[in-house]
Parts: sequence; C-alpha cells; structure tokens
Amino acid sequence: MKTITLTLKKKSPIALEFDELIPDKVFDWEKVDFEKYQVPVGNRRFPLTDYFDIEVEGDAAGPEEVKMILDGDFGRVKYIGCKMGAGEIIVNGDADLHCGAEMEGGKITVNGNAESYAGREMKGGELEIMGNTREFCGCSYIGDWRGMSGGKITLHGSAGKQLGECLSGGEIYVKGDCDILAGIHMNKGFIQIDGDVTRWPGGQMKNGNILVKGKLGILLEGFVYDSVVADPVIDGKSFSGKYIKYNGDIAVNGKGNLYLNAEKNREFL
Amino acid sequence: MEYILKNGIVYDPANNIAGEKKDVMFKDGKIVEQVSSDAKVLDVTDKIVMPAGVDPHAHIAGPKLVVGRIYRPEDSRKGVTSKKGVCRSESGFSIPSCPATGYRYSRMGYGTVTEAAVPPLEAKHTHEEIMAIPNVDVTPLPLFGNNWFVLQWAKEGKIDEIAAFVASWLRIVKGYGIKIVNPCGTEAWGWGGNVHGIDDPVPYFDVTAREVVRALAQANEKLGLPHSIHVHPNDLGHPGNYPTTVNTLDCVKDIAKNGSKRNQTIHLTHAQFHSYAGTSWRDVESGAKEVADYINNNKHVTCDIGQVTLDETTTMTADGPMEFDLHELNGLKWANKDIELETGSGIVPFIYSGKAPVPSFQWGVGLELFLRIKDPWQVCLTTDHPNAGPFIRYPRIISWLMSNERRQEMMDNGEVRVWSYKRTGLGTLDREYDFNEIATITRASAAKIYGYQDRGELTPGYNADIAVYDINPNDIDPSKEPAAIEHAFGNAMYTIKDGQILVKDGEVVKVVPSHTIWTDVKGFEEQEKTVMEEVMPTFRRFYTVKFENYQVQDHFTPNPIVTEVQAGK
Repeated sequence: MKTITLTLKKKSPIALEFDELIPDKVFDWEKVDFEKYQVPVGNRRFPLTDYFDIEVEGDAAGPEEVKMILDGDFGRVKYIGCKMGAGEIIVNGDADLHCGAEMEGGKITVNGNAESYAGREMKGGELEIMGNTREFCGCSYIGDWRGMSGGKITLHGSAGKQLGECLSGGEIYVKGDCDILAGIHMNKGFIQIDGDVTRWPGGQMKNGNILVKGKLGILLEGFVYDSVVADPVIDGKSFSGKYIKYNGDIAVNGKGNLYLNAEKNREFL
Repeated sequence: MEYILKNGIVYDPANNIAGEKKDVMFKDGKIVEQVSSDAKVLDVTDKIVMPAGVDPHAHIAGPKLVVGRIYRPEDSRKGVTSKKGVCRSESGFSIPSCPATGYRYSRMGYGTVTEAAVPPLEAKHTHEEIMAIPNVDVTPLPLFGNNWFVLQWAKEGKIDEIAAFVASWLRIVKGYGIKIVNPCGTEAWGWGGNVHGIDDPVPYFDVTAREVVRALAQANEKLGLPHSIHVHPNDLGHPGNYPTTVNTLDCVKDIAKNGSKRNQTIHLTHAQFHSYAGTSWRDVESGAKEVADYINNNKHVTCDIGQVTLDETTTMTADGPMEFDLHELNGLKWANKDIELETGSGIVPFIYSGKAPVPSFQWGVGLELFLRIKDPWQVCLTTDHPNAGPFIRYPRIISWLMSNERRQEMMDNGEVRVWSYKRTGLGTLDREYDFNEIATITRASAAKIYGYQDRGELTPGYNADIAVYDINPNDIDPSKEPAAIEHAFGNAMYTIKDGQILVKDGEVVKVVPSHTIWTDVKGFEEQEKTVMEEVMPTFRRFYTVKFENYQVQDHFTPNPIVTEVQAGK
C-alpha cells in the first residue's frame, strides 16, 4: 500500500490540472518524482512543489494499491481523478471542475463541495461527494449524446442543474435537493433524489428510472400518470411507502419511469 | 534553389513511368530536366516517388465546417495536439481545425485539395478559411444546381444565359468549376420536400434535374471550362438509387466535350452513395456492378468513390433533404441551413460501425466500385471527407485496395458484418491495385479530371509538387503488409510543394500559405454584361445582401492561381 499525501501550501488563482496525477500513472512514483513534476496551470506548467508539500509512504505494485490524500482547499484544482482506473483519492476539501470525469474504476471521496461536471462520462468506479455539487454532475461531454455509462455517484449534499444528463447506465444517488432537469436525455440507469426537486425531472428521457423522495415543484407535461405503486423495487433496491409512477417523456416517445413520493406530492394526484 | 531527388523509384502515370529508378530534378519551384552540379542532393534510394497527391472532392472550408465545429465540440476534442515545431496546435478528427487540415494533408503527401461545395453567398467565408489552411492549394467549386437563375433558364432552355451567368459567377466568387448537388432537390427542400429521380420536377420552377444537369453541362462545354460538371446526383443514400445515377450520367452523353486535357463531360462524385439497388434498407443490395459497367463502357464519365472508412464522422452536404432523412434514421443532432436563392445544407453526425449491417454494406459497395472500374483514369480515391470518413484514412483505403487478403480477413473476422459481402459483390473480387494504379487514383487521374496544367505530373515545367514515401516497392508485398503500406502513405518521407520541403519523415517542417485556384473566363464579356442586367433586379429584390458585399474581392485570395479560359476554345 502506498499513501501519497499532497498538502496545499499555496492556492493558485488560476486552476491547476490534475489529470496526470492519477493512481494509474503515479503508482510507481517516489517523492523525488513528484518534486520533479511540473503541473499544468493555465497554458503553462509550474513545479508541483510550488503549491504542495508532498509525502510518499510505502510501496505499490499497481494503481489499486495507491491511496492519494489531497489535504486543503482544492477548489482551484481541476480534473482530480480524471480517467482513473483504480486506487483511491480522498480530497479533504473542495474540488474544482471535472472531478472524477471519465473515471473507470477506483474510488474518489470529496470531503467538501465539488464544482460542475463531477463524474462526467463516468464509466465505472465510485465517486462520493460529502458536500454539494453544481451543474452537469454525471453528464456527457459538451455536445456529446453519450453520458455517464457506469459506476456510482453518491452526493450527500445538493445537486445543480441537469444532473445525469444523457445518462446511459450506472447510478446517481442524491441525498439532498436537486435543481431542474435531472436525467435530461437519459436512456438508461437510475437517479435517486432524497430531497426536493425544483422542476422538470426527466426532460426528454428515453428510458431509465428516476425516483424523488421529496417534493417536486413542477412536473413536465410529457409525463403520463401510470399508477400509484406501493414499496416499488427499482434496480434491485426497494423503497418503502407509496409512489406515484409516471411514464415519459412522451415528447420523444420515451419509456422511462418517474416515481414521486405520494405523501409529499399529493397535489399531483 | 536546385534539388535532385536521387535514385527514387518513380511512379508518374501521366508520363507512363511506372516504377522506374530515376532522378527527379527541380529548380525554383518547377520540375526541370537538368540541374547544375550545385544542386542539393536528397537521397531517396529505392523509395517511392510520386507527384504530390490531388484530392478531387472534400469539404474542408466554408460555413458547413464552422457549424460542424461549433455543434460538435465532442469531435474537436479528438486529435488534440499541442504546438510543436512550426505547427500550431491541432484539434478535431472528422472536422479538424483549419491548420490541422493543412498539416494532415501535407503529412500524407498531398498538395492540392478541392473544396467541393461553396455556396456563392458564403464564398467570402470559404475563402477566409482557405487562407487559414496552410500547405495545400485549394480549388473551390461553387454550387449551381439549385440556383434560382439557373433553374429558370434551364426551364427555358437558355444555355447562353447560363454560360454567361456561370462565367460571371466564377469570377464573382472566385470559383473553379460547376458543382451540382441534388439538382432541384435542395430547392424542393425549401418547400419541405425532395425530388426523386431525375424527371421529378421541383415545385414552382417546374424544372427537372435532367434539364438542369444537361443545361449546366452544355454551358460548361460552351465555355470550355477546365473541369467538367461535378455532380452529386439525386437520391443520395437511398436504396434503389442506382438507376437515377446511371440516368444522370447518361443524360449528358450526347454533349460534346470542349476541354483540352480532360476526357469526361461529367464527374460523378461519391459514387458509393449512389450505387444501391433494392427498395428499402431491409432488402438493399449493391448496384455497384451496374454503375461500374456504365462507367467502363462510357468514357465521358469519371468518378470518385466516397469510401466508407468505418469511423464516427460528421456528414455535411448541400443536400438538405437527405440530411434530414439521415437525422430521422439515426436520431442524432441535426443542423440545417437555407442559402437564400442558391442552395441549402444539413449536418448530422454518423457512426459508420463495422458492427452494424448498413455501414458494412456501404464499405463493401465502395470497395466493389474501386475494384470493378477497370480504368484507373476514371476513378479517384476520396472519402467525400468528412461524409464517409475523414481524409486521414486515405492510407488505410490504399492498404485495403492493395490487399485482397486484408479485405477477406476483415470480412472473416467480423471487423465488418456479413452484409459487406452477402449484399455486395465484394467477396468475389480479388483484384489488387498496384503502386502505379494507386498513383493514378490519388493524383494523376484527379489532376487530369480537373484539367490542371501545372500539377499531378512530374513533367518538366510543372510545379515541383512531389511526395516521397518510405517504402521500397520492389521489396514489399502490399498484399501481406497492409499495416506497412498504411503507415508509409500516412507519413510521407518528403512532401515537396512548389519546390519547398514541407514534410520530412512524417513531420511538418515548413508551413506555407495555400493558393486558391480559380477560373477566369475571357471572351464572354458582352453576354455577361447582358445577363448581369437581367440578374440584378432579382438580386436586389430577393438577396438579403447588397451585391457590393456579395462579391469576393481580391484580398480574399491573396495567393491566387488563375486559370484563364478563352470561352468556346
């Protein structure tokens, strides 16, 4: 097991990019390698040691034996764990854009808030965010129609707009509230939201499941009432209580399911 | 500066040189017969030497490309490289950035590329983009097949007016020749429809594709333009479209040729998309044999193929209704544009996957055409970039054409589905191209089809546009080593343009501005003046721009190569 600890000593106003510092690439790096490394900052590179104190303990034969601990406010560090395939990254602070983007395996824990695009195009692995995140969590790349396809995102705080846009697999679990258009264009996968939702979950969804335990503001017209179901089982998870089930979005001939907590959304009945 | 390329094995089909060991000399940008003893020697012993490549049909500059780049950022992120040496950073796969387009053609040993669809209204934009593409000379072909003036005169049989209009418009927009895309169909798209077959009249103008194609072909030959009409027929990509294709080719058979270098009076572009039999995608079969037979029996026709490369790409064409059909078929995002009195266009991403039956079938049809057309002077290698695949796949297509074994392997191991041989005749064809035929379809035939008098050959006096590839043709068995062929043709040992070394060992070492090749017709001034008087009232009434802002001024073509044509000669 190898533990790599980076402790922030100077926060850059221009974002640093960490997509080269993933367990898959650094599992055989020693302290001296990190000290030699130049990190991208804007359109230039600067020594990693300008920004962090570095400690490396133990040995790893592969990325799965690596634990990276990022201590401090990483709110100006983008692409943390981007494209990682194995190992673990713990951020003890906030993370900037694209945290866990395109990750295929391993685990990232953010003990703070994450900016937009967390878990973009995720294919596997686990991303846990203890705070809030902003727009496009678990989405596709801009312009693309192929979003997150595997893995799991757990969000203990609230999510922004267009959560799980173009979702085509995997699971997103939001313990807090969620803003508009969760699961827009999704065609597979499962989004669970424990808190309240402002409006329009599942816009243009083709397939997949969305479950809202809290209160919904406005439902889209493209969702057709199906039935009230008790204790539904979705993707192998069972939920106690009564839920209003809708099908949609019929605007795109969608076959998706939207479940709303019946207790909290009585006015829709 | 004098150079001598020493001991290369030369393929120069225009001069009947097929694999001879000889020296090629050039001085001050031109090929010469003799150089002095001061000439710099470039040792290319036993390497392939050819004229630089000439691409007869691609979409590399203009508003379609920009819309494509704007609405497909997911394509731009592929192929990203950072600034290196003389090169700026690159981006894009199917729609590369302008500098990347130039660098990538240059690395393949190409020197000239046709931008095959210029809406005259957007010509300024096209020329601005050409200015941003380095290292390759660009030949823009303006669109005439759905132009309101042309439709009206074609209906009335006024060939002189069309000829004068074309002569004027080539000068106004700085274009090289006549491009026709889905004649009448794109205009019908303005009415929410399309035309099917060449005898289906367009709404309002009530004229058919047959009349338009014939009228433009007659005007083309009346002026004696260096290139023939360049036709994308109706019904692109529709099962059962090959009779439309053959009828389009046949409808100009009686028109006499009037051009010094070319043999053809009609050039059929991306023939692969126009060679389908059957009635629907369920029962579609290849019509390549019928189209190839027609081409084999008729010397007034040339074609390029538009070979499917099995990649994710971006389709973009002035064939607006076809793009809408494609969007309905694959459900992916669609962009559409109407160009006032002239044409329209559409853009849809497309994934040509070898795991799907239809792309496999299209792959088979393209190769079948290549193998069935006997005379390599009648066919050119294209992918209709980016419609059937990006141009950077040309080397891979060369490797397929040179290796029956590789083709069979792809069909056997499931790289392409069974429709590639069950619905086409590809499985029965074992022809393999040799290096001389490859040199013909990638440079010599295209140069001849375009009537270029300064490139595509290693004739003394011609531009020193030369490509050297790092393979010994006497040593390699292309049938067994497709990967080596692909690598060599994709990474030129030298690309020389106007006597300057632009690429060395697959790396761009010099960046030069591109030239714009356009045609200036002389001796038709009186008729042009009359026609302009007729055109202007309509122009002022319907165009949203003023004529003064429509014309392409000289500063849009800072490096022009003007082909002067004496009308009627």
